[in-house]
Amino acid sequence: MGLVRKQAPQQPEEVLPEKRSTEALREQLADPDPDCRREAALGLEGVAEAVPDLLARVAVETETNVRDAVLTTLSGYDTEQVAGSLAVHLASDDAALRTAVAEALATMPQSVPALLPDLLAAPDHDVRVMTAMVLADMTHPDTAVWLIRMISEDPHPNVVTAAIDAFLPVAGPEHASVLEGAVQRFPDDPFLRFTVQAALPRLSGTA
Amino acid sequence: MTSETETTGARVLVVDDAATVRLYHSSLLLEAGFRVDEAANGLEAVEAAMATPFDLFVVDVNMPKMNGYTCVETLRSETVGTEAPVLMISTEDRPGDADRAYAAGANLYLVKPVSGDRLVRIATMLTAGKGMSA
Repeated sequence: MGLVRKQAPQQPEEVLPEKRSTEALREQLADPDPDCRREAALGLEGVAEAVPDLLARVAVETETNVRDAVLTTLSGYDTEQVAGSLAVHLASDDAALRTAVAEALATMPQSVPALLPDLLAAPDHDVRVMTAMVLADMTHPDTAVWLIRMISEDPHPNVVTAAIDAFLPVAGPEHASVLEGAVQRFPDDPFLRFTVQAALPRLSGTA
Repeated sequence: MTSETETTGARVLVVDDAATVRLYHSSLLLEAGFRVDEAANGLEAVEAAMATPFDLFVVDVNMPKMNGYTCVETLRSETVGTEAPVLMISTEDRPGDADRAYAAGANLYLVKPVSGDRLVRIATMLTAGKGMSA
């Protein structure tokens, strides 16, 4: 029998391994091992088709480090759709989830502004408090404008005090009337009065 | 962060990410004779508690890095193992919030705003007999 040259094994198309990898990572998001889930979440950075899987994972993930990894990856998609899906969790009963989501939203200045009208009008005042937390850490030229609106208009004193806390680092002497107005709106709130009284000398440079 | 006076009162750790809240609670407690340290989140609080024995923790709920519930659970865990009373103060007043605080190991859960008199009265009650020899 003569020598028969073996056929060279067919090379897989270059895109196949990557496709398989993405699929594997998406499945790996539900792995029982938290380390595997975290690896998958980080590995899916930049994989747009995995965004729905990552958003779904946020709602059910109980391991803090995995959830943080999922949110880190999702933060790379500063779109209204992703931010809106995350903002729902600001009302979560899970304190770890709502604070982690607030931190993530603070890194999404392109898309969060579009959500603000709804967030600032949320019937749950705790959601508005969390919104102040988002604004406190978000780099955006209009942050002060939104916080002033919260301080001047929000009907709940806890929201106003949260907004004041977020606003003070960027406030100047010209904002003294904004703070004084808050005290006038809530004259019986001891914390709000204390905060403004402590802040006013610093704003005017007399502290 | 430490703002300590020359009193011999019980030592309190005020844990809140809001600087104004820390200032408010610290000022009230300092004025009442407590020694006060501050932490800006749960992680800082745990680190502080591992280094210093506190007589009372005043802890917020919503904080970055480590929220209040996890903070209190960690304070009660073998990692820290403190038996000092924990007073949680939060804006959250939804059904179940207090239950979660107590399940984590808190002794008392209050909803903001808390008047100065009330805070000092409760802190004094929770630390009765503590810190006077410090």
